[in-house]
Amino acid sequence: MDSPHSVPASDFLVNNKRIRVLGLSFDDAVKIFFGGNAVVSVVVLALITYFLFQEGFGFFGQNHRNLLTYRQAGLEYVDFIRTQESGHTALTRYLSDLRLRQYNRLTIDQKQSSAAANQSLASFDAFAAQYGDAVEPIRGLVSDLTEQATAIKTKFLIAEDKKVERQQLLAAGKSAEAAAVKIETVDFATELKVLTGTLPVYKETSAEFAKRLDVALTNAPAMPAPELAARLDRFRQLTREYVATFPATTGSLETWDYARPVPWYQSFTAFLFGREWLTASFWQDWYGIVPLLIGSLMVSLVALVIAVPLGVGSAIYINQIASMREQRFIKPSIEFISAFPSVVLGFFGIAVLGQFLRWLSQQPSLAWVPGFPFSERLNILTAGCLLALIAIPTIFTLAEDALQNVPKAFKEASFALGASRLQTIIKIVVPASLSGIISAVLLGLGRVIGETMVVLLCAGNRIAIPDFTAGLAVVTQPVHTMTGIIAQEMGEVVRGSIHYRALFVVGIVLFFLSLAINFIAQKIVRRYRISIG
Amino acid sequence: MVTAPMTALTTSAFAMDIGTSSATPPTARPVSTVPTPSVTAPTGTPASAGPILIDIEHVDFFYGPSQALHDINLKIEEKKVTAFIGPSGCGKSTLLRCLNRMNDLIDGTRVAKGQIKIRGVDIYERSVDVIELRKRVGMVFQKSNPFPKSIYENVTYGLRLQGRSNKADLDAVVEKSLRGAALWDEVKDRLHTSGLGLSGGQQQRLCIARAIAVEPEVILMDEPCSALDPIATVKVEELIQELRTRFTIVIVTHNMQQAARCSDKTAFFYMGKLIEYADTRAIFMNPANAQTEAYVSGRFG
Ligand SMILES: Nc1ncnc2c1ncn2[C@@H]1O[C@H](COP(=O)(O)OP(=O)(O)OP(=O)(O)O)[C@@H](O)[C@H]1O
Ligand SMILES: [Mg+2]
Repeated sequence: MDSPHSVPASDFLVNNKRIRVLGLSFDDAVKIFFGGNAVVSVVVLALITYFLFQEGFGFFGQNHRNLLTYRQAGLEYVDFIRTQESGHTALTRYLSDLRLRQYNRLTIDQKQSSAAANQSLASFDAFAAQYGDAVEPIRGLVSDLTEQATAIKTKFLIAEDKKVERQQLLAAGKSAEAAAVKIETVDFATELKVLTGTLPVYKETSAEFAKRLDVALTNAPAMPAPELAARLDRFRQLTREYVATFPATTGSLETWDYARPVPWYQSFTAFLFGREWLTASFWQDWYGIVPLLIGSLMVSLVALVIAVPLGVGSAIYINQIASMREQRFIKPSIEFISAFPSVVLGFFGIAVLGQFLRWLSQQPSLAWVPGFPFSERLNILTAGCLLALIAIPTIFTLAEDALQNVPKAFKEASFALGASRLQTIIKIVVPASLSGIISAVLLGLGRVIGETMVVLLCAGNRIAIPDFTAGLAVVTQPVHTMTGIIAQEMGEVVRGSIHYRALFVVGIVLFFLSLAINFIAQKIVRRYRISIG
Repeated sequence: MVTAPMTALTTSAFAMDIGTSSATPPTARPVSTVPTPSVTAPTGTPASAGPILIDIEHVDFFYGPSQALHDINLKIEEKKVTAFIGPSGCGKSTLLRCLNRMNDLIDGTRVAKGQIKIRGVDIYERSVDVIELRKRVGMVFQKSNPFPKSIYENVTYGLRLQGRSNKADLDAVVEKSLRGAALWDEVKDRLHTSGLGLSGGQQQRLCIARAIAVEPEVILMDEPCSALDPIATVKVEELIQELRTRFTIVIVTHNMQQAARCSDKTAFFYMGKLIEYADTRAIFMNPANAQTEAYVSGRFG
């Protein structure tokens, strides 16, 4: 204690001199500043997620009611017959295709004039007309029933609206006005008698229809070319199969019951697996995400098919082969692509690329390419090419990082064993950075799947599942995408309507898709860090 | 044909144009030449002067504008261990990496003057296939660097590059090389696990196995033990003693005892110049040059 070496306690309080504001030292303030930033981003993320879900989840209840009305108002009943009718339409399309082939054979192969060709096709045309007209009675029935079902539905919807109106008046305390709102109750059982009562008529019409088709087939002229004759046989076969489905349709109509409940999960499955996105329709709205999802995936797939070789290839070139001078020039150029606003790219896509691709497809020397020539300027291919431009900088930069992280020692060891540059790249550098490259590709995918402007402008915006039977040519068809539909329709929908909420659910799907892609990419990167050690 | 120190048999092993090799300048000195004038004359005569394998003549080397080697003259004997010693930054690694042209990988490097001949062939000649050269002159690095592949794949890497894929063949080479690198007993049960899972000393021996699997003539080792503990170091040193019967070894080391224990000849470098080159015993017991003396006795910065 009293030794000369002991220091007086007061001299040891070195912290006293620190400046403190509101009791915080500088270090504390720095910590709070950066911590605050982190907290803000987490909160924003949470808010966005909450908002998405809050707006989106109401959809499923509404969709359930939507599906229920579809059944109760008898629309489902009518659609059984409508399906039968559209089956016939598909067959007549087969027939016109057949005619076109025969016509081309005559005019192109046999060099006949078009008048002469049409002349010799007269008997075929007569047959086709007879076949086409066979459906008339069914078509008439469908259109009658459609009117009746629509009437029931409208009546029901008006009643529902009135109910809401009364509810609102009551809530506002205006009980007198509320009582004055007249609500017509819709008794589906009686209303539907009009529809279901037509069953005997339908049975008769359907039998008549089958007979007419049969008669029409016997009048089919013989096709001269064996290839076309085979097609005509195929057509006969298809018609027989088609007619064989009639009893099933009748069965569906007989057993149909408007009161059968719609299971709750159907509002989910109808969304997730629904093949139709049809809104503001006079008949029935469908909210099926499949065409949009496929559209987004197809466009992204095309983008990746182009961007992966280009992005990874140039990353390998820059990192492993290029001289310093080339690096200084190429690297910023590629990274500069991402500086283009995507709307500018989209504009370029419409004005230049789409036009150019179509022109290219119409070159006779390129007719062997699947899908060439095509007439739609805006399609999967055009949008995919532009999205590739957006993905390339992402993939390039991240893949280059991954290559850069491969220890130089591996490369030296490989060279010292007598490997060429190419062997070293293929056997050492790329395998060692493979997971980094894969996650670069995934992040590129995340980038393009969320891209909106380009697809809205260049994908063609046709809401339909592309025809995959076309093989590779499928990429020349227009599609619509998840991002595109949100951007296009969100501005027009009524807030809180089923359509509005459906768009939110599409947003949720998009959100989870991106989340999953990013998550997987991070997982892969983490594993790769460990493997390199 | 070829000049005296070369044997036609081994020269042909290099994928080189015979025309070039026979065009070797007449200035090439015969084997028996005593160390070049720039080297301080060794005090003791070599115990047994073997045939010269690598002949370094008047080499100047540049990293871009800065000169790292000044007029190096050195003859490395076949099937001997030659040690390069000297303070940090004196150019040992640079010279070593000149011998298999690893410096080619660094932009802007060049051998400005002089020649490096292996069996009489100038390895910086245009017609020389660098890949073939590196197959014949293997290298082991300071920091062990097995590939992130299995032990088996590490050892067979060089052979696969040469297109050899016969399984039995490769199996035999793997066993022979791993035995040669004194590693076989430790890893024979885990050949297909990652080479990165081995200890530091084992990894370094794996790298040696990888280098000898392609049957080079020369093995260059750049401070192979500097990252190893004493026991692993002893193992590698013992290994070097076994390898010397089959290979010509050039080893860079900072460890005087190691140089003294392992090598037959020692070259002392300082500031990019070869100061003294002689039998190891002569360098350590009786150095001719005062700088050498100061360095080997530890009185040197
Ligand atoms: N890649 C390079 N670029 C430029 N200069 C280099 C490069 N590598 C080495 N040098 C320089 O060349 C000289 C010799 O370096 P070198 O690596 O050969 O020395 P060293 O004797 O192996 O040293 P150490 O014992 O520390 O390994 C040093 O001055 C060094 O700075
Ligand atoms: Mg060194």
